[in-house]
Amino acid sequence: MTALLHAELIKLRTTRTFVALAGIAVAISLLLTALVGLLSEPTEESVLIDVFASDVSGFFILVLAVVGISGEWRHRTITSSLLAAPDRLRFLTAKTLAFAAAGILMSLLISIAVTILGLAILTVRDLPTPEAGELADLAARNALVAALLGAFGVGIGALVRNQLVAVVGLLVFSFVVETTLIALVPEVARFGPFTSLPTATAGISAEQAGLGDELELLAPGLAVMAMLAWIGAAFAAGAVLLQRRGLE
Amino acid sequence: MAAIEIQGLTKRFGKVHAVTDLSFAVEAGRVTGFLGPNGAGKSTTLRMLLGLIRPDAGAGLIYGHRYEDLPHPSAQVGVVLEDASFHPGRTGRNHLRVLATAGRHPTGRVDEVLEQVELGPAAADRRVKGYSMGMRQRLAIAAALLGDPEVLILDEPANGLDPPGIRWMRDMLRSQAARGRAVLVSSHLLSEVAQSVDDIVVISHGVLRASGPLGQVLGASNNGARGPVTRVRAADGDRLAALLRGRGITLESDGSGVLLARGVPPEVVGAVAAEHRLALVELGAQSRSLEDAFLELTEDHK
Repeated sequence: MTALLHAELIKLRTTRTFVALAGIAVAISLLLTALVGLLSEPTEESVLIDVFASDVSGFFILVLAVVGISGEWRHRTITSSLLAAPDRLRFLTAKTLAFAAAGILMSLLISIAVTILGLAILTVRDLPTPEAGELADLAARNALVAALLGAFGVGIGALVRNQLVAVVGLLVFSFVVETTLIALVPEVARFGPFTSLPTATAGISAEQAGLGDELELLAPGLAVMAMLAWIGAAFAAGAVLLQRRGLE
Repeated sequence: MAAIEIQGLTKRFGKVHAVTDLSFAVEAGRVTGFLGPNGAGKSTTLRMLLGLIRPDAGAGLIYGHRYEDLPHPSAQVGVVLEDASFHPGRTGRNHLRVLATAGRHPTGRVDEVLEQVELGPAAADRRVKGYSMGMRQRLAIAAALLGDPEVLILDEPANGLDPPGIRWMRDMLRSQAARGRAVLVSSHLLSEVAQSVDDIVVISHGVLRASGPLGQVLGASNNGARGPVTRVRAADGDRLAALLRGRGITLESDGSGVLLARGVPPEVVGAVAAEHRLALVELGAQSRSLEDAFLELTEDHK
């Protein structure tokens, strides 16, 4: 399993997609931090979430994971992957762990960059800054969100073989379906894996995340359990499909 | 124990019988050509052997094990499939690094196989999307050789290779067999196969038509329904033709003075000529090419 995990990480490192999307994620996170840090007047209570919660790694690692596994079908590299690892369950497990690890790495990089920039701006503007413990806690929670979304993305990509359909479907579910559900049936939407559960896992309230005051998010621990259930379901369905699919 | 054993493999795709009760064996130290027209079921057979397609019946075994049950598959079996694909944005060297890592091969093997397939450092460090078809094929062969495997399975490996490349591949196949490796190679380039293989397996419509040592299969084909064919040319061709026809032998002429005597070996034709003191310019068995044998073995089943 270690060798397969290592191989999957090399796959990630050796294409431009990961570097490009990670770079975009860092840039967007820094831009948000800079804008909020420069234009808002955060209080001591609100500064942590207002300025330092701009980590967008979760969404990007989700897209990367979907692109990563559906790309195996698109580029037909799935054949050489499965010849090297004929046990398809082990292959899928290694890919899931690899994208979870990549999510953690990307999130930590963003957290470090955001923390440096945010602290610099707040210090120059002589505004209150959060304590180191609070920043570390937020970074850890964001990393957990990124890991969970990375793993979830692999399950989705294993289910939807067509890369374009998978990515477009992901965007539609993230930005249209779940957002609509949050507005119309918030009691159902609180279990949504793209927005509600990641927000809850990060310990951010619905109001702070701009999701309205109707949505009552789960407690962080429960949100993690619910995310794991989504990941388990997607992984199991993806694994069954992968086992049954012939590579003609 | 045979290196590869195909035992009653059967596969249907809907109403199409892709492979039907196919059985043959591939021995170590020999190159076996796997021949059949397009759509004959060669690739399906190889993919079933490699666990990429689930057979409806039968099994494909490598040293007695299914591919997926081999303890270290990429060290035991090297594979080049017809649609060998690579991520276009990854360099050739990185592609091999991924496979070497997944297969637990020493990373030093990457440079060794790159050298073996004659892909230089500049080419190896280029992204695969810039590769020619021949370079892709060399990269696929390099990937197959990474684990220095005991068994090589190659589906149309000459695709995209230029003449020096084809020659290089032929030599590589022979050297692998000389080292005791079992080599199974499917190809539609019959002339290349004829120069490379020890044994052949011929299938058509998913059904085995012939298998065995090349000479034996060619001979069997040659001595099939039409019997042996003797090629003869005499100083007095008309007289020899009359004598042979007088013995009930069917003759054909190629227009250049050569007679093809069907159903009789050269000894019989030579005896007739000697009996009548006719000078012969040429006498011998008409050798049939692999292409002739292939067409004969497969044409009746179209």
